[in-house]
Amino acid sequence: MLEIKGVHAGYGNLKILRGIDMQVPSGGIVTLLGGNGTGKSTLLKAISGLIPLMEGEIIFDGVSVSKLKPHERMRLGLVQVTQAKEAYPAMTVEENLVLGAYTRKDREATKADLQKVYDFFPVLRERRKQLSGTLSGGEVQMLVIGRGLMASPKMLMLDEPSAALAPKVVLEIFANINRIAKSGVTVLVVEQNVRMALILAQYGYIIRDGVIMMKGEAKKLISDPAVKESFLGGSVSDTTKALRN
Amino acid sequence: MKLMNKVFAGLVATGVGLATTAAFAGDIRVGITMRMVSENGQAYGQMVMDEIKAINDAGGINGNMIKATLMNDECKSDKGVANANKLIFQENIHLLIGSTCSSVSLPIVDVTAKAGVPQMIPHSTNAKITQKGSEWVFRIPVSGRYYGGVNAKYVGENIGSKIAYICAADAASVGDCANMEKQMRARFGVDPAYRADVQEKEVDFRSHMQKIKSMNVDGILVAALAETMARALIQSYEAGIGEDVRRIGSSSASNAPVPKIAGDAAKGVFFTAAYAAADNRPIAKLFNEMTRKRYGIHAPDHDFSQAYDLVRIMEIALNNADLQLEQWSLKQDRTAIRDAIASVEGYEGLASGPISFCAAPTPQCRDGNRTAVLIGYTKGGENFETEVLARVTMEPDFGLE
Amino acid sequence: MGFDFNSLLAFIIFGVTIGVVYGIVALGISLIYSGLDIVHFAHGEMYMFGAFFGLVLAHNVGVPYPVALIGAMILTAILGMLVERVFYRRLTRAGGGYTVAGMGMIICGFGMSVALVNAAYFFFGAEAEPFRANLDYIPRLTFPGDINVPESYVLTAIISVLLMAGLHYFLRHTKTGLAVRAVAHNKDIAYLMGINVPLMISLIFGLACGLAAAAGVLIGPMQSVQVEMGYLMLMKAFAAAVVGGFGSLPGAILGGIMVGIFENLGAAYISASHKDIYAFLLLILVLMFRPSGLFGVEAKVKA
Ligand SMILES: Nc1ncnc2c1ncn2[C@@H]1O[C@H](COP(=O)(O)OP(=O)(O)OP(=O)(O)O)[C@@H](O)[C@H]1O
Ligand SMILES: [Mg+2]
Repeated sequence: MLEIKGVHAGYGNLKILRGIDMQVPSGGIVTLLGGNGTGKSTLLKAISGLIPLMEGEIIFDGVSVSKLKPHERMRLGLVQVTQAKEAYPAMTVEENLVLGAYTRKDREATKADLQKVYDFFPVLRERRKQLSGTLSGGEVQMLVIGRGLMASPKMLMLDEPSAALAPKVVLEIFANINRIAKSGVTVLVVEQNVRMALILAQYGYIIRDGVIMMKGEAKKLISDPAVKESFLGGSVSDTTKALRN
Repeated sequence: MKLMNKVFAGLVATGVGLATTAAFAGDIRVGITMRMVSENGQAYGQMVMDEIKAINDAGGINGNMIKATLMNDECKSDKGVANANKLIFQENIHLLIGSTCSSVSLPIVDVTAKAGVPQMIPHSTNAKITQKGSEWVFRIPVSGRYYGGVNAKYVGENIGSKIAYICAADAASVGDCANMEKQMRARFGVDPAYRADVQEKEVDFRSHMQKIKSMNVDGILVAALAETMARALIQSYEAGIGEDVRRIGSSSASNAPVPKIAGDAAKGVFFTAAYAAADNRPIAKLFNEMTRKRYGIHAPDHDFSQAYDLVRIMEIALNNADLQLEQWSLKQDRTAIRDAIASVEGYEGLASGPISFCAAPTPQCRDGNRTAVLIGYTKGGENFETEVLARVTMEPDFGLE
Repeated sequence: MGFDFNSLLAFIIFGVTIGVVYGIVALGISLIYSGLDIVHFAHGEMYMFGAFFGLVLAHNVGVPYPVALIGAMILTAILGMLVERVFYRRLTRAGGGYTVAGMGMIICGFGMSVALVNAAYFFFGAEAEPFRANLDYIPRLTFPGDINVPESYVLTAIISVLLMAGLHYFLRHTKTGLAVRAVAHNKDIAYLMGINVPLMISLIFGLACGLAAAAGVLIGPMQSVQVEMGYLMLMKAFAAAVVGGFGSLPGAILGGIMVGIFENLGAAYISASHKDIYAFLLLILVLMFRPSGLFGVEAKVKA
């Protein structure tokens, strides 16, 4: 579905990504893991076209999209939900969702999709006339995912959907991501909640300093000692020691 | 043949151009600063230059050429003062002509007084200009203090004494308002029925007009620069104030933009001026013809006539002055020109009355023109028409404390 | 003389009729600000160009006034879009508002204002031009107390209200309007929604400049048309936008009306010779007690 070949990208002259290769196969969930500031969001921006490529190529669904504008890539079904969980606070929940379907011309199907999103996230239906600025963090996350779905994506990219949410809410959101993938949408999810992400996904990439450091099946990564060392926090005693220092 | 003529004329013109631009020690250097933002402004600036060129073409002043430098001050006092300084201290002019706005002429009076340069004012009516006591200033137009008297006399005798005043904040209009008010009080013992002091470029007079309407006044004095006056006139009709209430214009009502912009609202407006295009003296007819042919002016106002009279008076004075025109004689030549202008007496030109100056640095001596003509618009618009209502000559002391 | 209730009413009515015009110019400034994070200092010139376009259409081409109004709006919208595309786009791309590029944008706006004024001198000349509109078919409203409101003011008020209503409908109830609002809030996310952001930016500029042109054509018959007319309007509209809350569209309108009433009352009861000061007095008062303006939203936080 998505193929990334030797991508270099960054901001202005500042290069962040230094030769990324990655494949996201059709169907299922792939996760991209890494610490703060390693370039995860930057990679998603490069894929969706918010920042230009310095080198390399991105092929989506068999077409090279490297030169396309963000809205043009989006029209091909490549949809990104940003990390900042930005909804439009001055718009109602429903306006936000309608905006997600901005590019679509199929009215009937759009309407049906709106109901589908409401079925996924019943709380959004309850609050559909409410300004999205008044929603809770978890509700906003549901809203932006729902908004992404409204575009009827072939592939949905989620940037840290679990960030700053209570464990119970995280669970609910991940369950929904799973359902989305089951419904036939390819999902690329960026996460720092490594354990949860590796349980959810079939395949994982680990990025550090703008290069892919490790990749493999999620099941294997989760039990990999190196991953455990750097992401799963080591043992309780290690943490305690670190805190005391 | 025709072509050869043209080529020849071109060569001569270039030769003259070179002669006038090169600054020989023997030149008489004249600096001019004027408001040249409108087509009219451009045209009377050009006319002054053309008339000076004609003097040069006819042999100059006792064989000396006049080298004129024309600058635009846009009726802005800072620009005018900067122009005056540049002309006086860089170009070392013998004579300054300017400006055409009271607010610009007023500060320049201080500059010329300090530098000792004679200043001839083509058009500025504010009475204060000659009351500063400068021995270097000469006013060709009629002072606002005479205008106020003429206006007030006519208004009080023919229209009524219940007058509303709209006074804009530019120097000329402030002066016109004050003079009118003073004269109405002195002659008829009345104060304004309503008085609004508005901004120089006010755009919205509706609230004032509304109030004035409810007061049943006999007339409205609109004292403002041309464009502002035109707006006020239009809005007075929009507010529903009828034709029976006469509109009295301040000195700038003579400017062509007033009837042009105000259109029908200009009809019936009357004002005092130094020259009327409706004048039927032969000299006036010739002048109207000349400005129409040369500059495409429909009906020249007193800005034109005064600029023209000024050049003539300058020519007389320069011919009479004993000039050395050497590097060392600048100061002496300036003084000689000043004294020569001061001795001009009984000049009769386009102005409605004779123009005379004298030596004392007083308004009596330096407000050269004391005859105002009262003009009314009989038709507004691009091709406006005027009529002469009256012609009045005032005593030299009139309007002074 | 005693207190005259009728004249108070008159001052307020006239304040409102001029205030709505400040309002529609302020609406454009607010729209551009909320859309692009830039304060458009050349907006007064768009108003001036609009007035001249209207004048040329009505007098030289000879179309009826309403057609001239619409024509001027379209022409000015095109002018605004061109200016944005050619001159502003690079700067806005580098980020607006609080960035260094934002500063460059402000200077660029001033420069554009000077450039447009000079272009206007070149094309239209320095003289004030009368704008005569035949408005006989507009009723003359008479308020109690024999306050006669001339037709051009009635027309001004009606058209301004219609324009505002139209803009409101467009922004709230159409899909494109939704996209404009999305771009206004966050361009990156708007991109991710598949919105053609550059096109929407052009649209925002076009709309804002079209509104300014409408104001110019509406004011024309009252005040005559002149190259230097933009500066004062910009100041008033600016005051209106700040009073109402910068970036707030209803705020811009109400701010305009407040500025209109406030300056008319100030001119009537304090002194008419400093009328232009009242707008700024109101602005300072509002900033002292409600820095975000009367209807201001908190400064938006960018993602
Ligand atoms: N707009 C920008 N301009 C310049 N540098 C940026 C910009 N956005 C991010 N960076 C830098 O790029 C690097 C990678 O940032 P990125 O947002 O991709 O990290 P991340 O992996 O998503 O981290 P996090 O988990 O904290 O979201 C960081 O060093 C960051 O400071
Ligand atoms: Mg990130």
